[in-house]
Amino acid sequence: MTPSKGHNKELAERAYRVRRNAVRMGEVQGQGYIAQALDIADVLATAYFHAMRYRPEDPNWEGRDRFLLSNGHYAIALYAALIEAGIIPEEELETYGSDESRLPMSGMASYTPGMEMSGGSLGVGMSIAVGMAMGLKRKKSDSRVYILFSDGELDEGSVWEAMMSAAHHKLDNIIAVVDVNNQQADGPSTQVMAFEPLGQKLEAFGWFVQRIDGNDLDAVVDAFDAAKDHKAPKPRIIVADTLMGKGVPFLEAREKNHFIRVDAHEWQLALAALDEGRLA
Amino acid sequence: MSLLDDPKRLGEHVADFRARHPKKPMRQEFGAIMLALAERRPDVFAVTADLMYATGLVEFGARFPDRLVNVGIAEQNMIGVAAGLGGAGKLPVVCGYAAFIALRAVEQVKVDCAYNETKVILAGLSSGLTYGVGGPTHQTYEDLATLRAMPNTIVIVPNDTVQAALAMDAAVEHPGNTPIYLRLGRGPEHVLTKPGDPFRIGRANRLCDGDDVCLVANGALTFEAYLAADILRGEGIAAEVLDMHTVKPIDREAILDAAGRVDAMVVAEEHSRSGGLGAAVLEVLEDGHDFPVARIGLEDEYPPIGPMPDLRHALGLSGEAIARRARLLLDRKRSRRGR
Repeated sequence: MTPSKGHNKELAERAYRVRRNAVRMGEVQGQGYIAQALDIADVLATAYFHAMRYRPEDPNWEGRDRFLLSNGHYAIALYAALIEAGIIPEEELETYGSDESRLPMSGMASYTPGMEMSGGSLGVGMSIAVGMAMGLKRKKSDSRVYILFSDGELDEGSVWEAMMSAAHHKLDNIIAVVDVNNQQADGPSTQVMAFEPLGQKLEAFGWFVQRIDGNDLDAVVDAFDAAKDHKAPKPRIIVADTLMGKGVPFLEAREKNHFIRVDAHEWQLALAALDEGRLA
Repeated sequence: MSLLDDPKRLGEHVADFRARHPKKPMRQEFGAIMLALAERRPDVFAVTADLMYATGLVEFGARFPDRLVNVGIAEQNMIGVAAGLGGAGKLPVVCGYAAFIALRAVEQVKVDCAYNETKVILAGLSSGLTYGVGGPTHQTYEDLATLRAMPNTIVIVPNDTVQAALAMDAAVEHPGNTPIYLRLGRGPEHVLTKPGDPFRIGRANRLCDGDDVCLVANGALTFEAYLAADILRGEGIAAEVLDMHTVKPIDREAILDAAGRVDAMVVAEEHSRSGGLGAAVLEVLEDGHDFPVARIGLEDEYPPIGPMPDLRHALGLSGEAIARRARLLLDRKRSRRGR
């Protein structure tokens, strides 16, 4: 999370605040997909504060880049970024997961400003991205479709159907990120269903592939830049290897951290750990 | 001897009635519907999964290559891509087989379209028994049950090619962010509808008036119900025929209006007796009714593989069978009353 080259200080601060927002929401419910939010915060910070085009005051602005969250259970992470982006007011964070909230545990496009699709069932987002990217191209729009999905979703056949069609239709306006945190409900993703060598598979599917440390901000920034600047008529994908719980050492070390329950006093420890990382 | 009890005379009568109502094939007509729609609406896209020929889209593809999306044999992706096109402001029409839209990709219909509040028109051809020789994998008798049960859907079963065109127009004009499923046939079927006939989503058409029995049907069985009413007329029985082309939202008013007048109701559909039109009608009547309701449809077993006309006949999906059932219900009800 700390940029190695030091020129992404602002992004590092953004990433810190995204993590902080996520942990504060986790505290409201006492549990949640916190470790994923922490692992993907650097990617989200780069997407929202470096790569993407949008207007916080007008989330439905026609010229915006679309951000599709295929792994709907990462909603807590996306809310954290949308709050930091000023699309959702910060005070709503306290309502996370409660009945009347615009921030339900699984993201709903009809409730939440800035949420482009209602997710929750895994493996459907990439197809929607393909259709959306195609529709934008036919409208002569230069908006891009960003889509985040998780390594566990690679088990779903529909994801591969969609990736094949994205390349077939030369949808170079798609920038996908797959979060390889190697963790899904039943254990390490590579053990539940072996998907490596992932980069080679994706290249063979006709995508422009970059594999990076998803918690190295400089690398993330460079990867988004390269994805945007790439000339070949191919969809782009960033394979982001990440660390579950990144930034909170006692969560990083927890063995089963797919869905985290945290004792009341530990939330403050988690926030303190983030603060420590920020100063370092 | 009454017409229904005289096989020879009944056979001639039915043959003559059928001959007076020419047939049109859905596949070719559907291609023409799509072509006309694409000419009128530049936002219309056809999305298909390797069924461009089978759904009659060849000319569409030649004229509008940029608006025909063929995803290969990948129905889940087909629905997702259509939803994405809808999200980008286009009007996608999924052109496929009913079985693969409503069963193979049913979750994508729910999540990507219905739950995500995205307007997508789903044209499911070869529904029911119309692709009989394809066997149970390609026959479809569960689609109304699956699509009717999920919130934010509209389910329409046009009775012929002309009504399919009217239904498509209505679907295109419908303002809601809702997937709209059109359950369509395949080969030649009798045509009852005339261009310009009324068609409103959710509003049944009354094809015959009668206060003895109400025959409710949709799809190809609307014609069979119409034929049944003709046969019953010879028996001195006046049958109302309701063309219930929209299964969801169902026309409660039309059903309750009939319920206040008739002595029996027969619902006929080319779908499982579970979860389809018959079930939908009974749901409307759940507050009580004092007349018998018979549901003609498919029993809980896989039909054999064979040509559609043979299957329909063998499985009792015919005007003759509907008429017999109606007469039986009325006889029973009236003999009970007479006691």
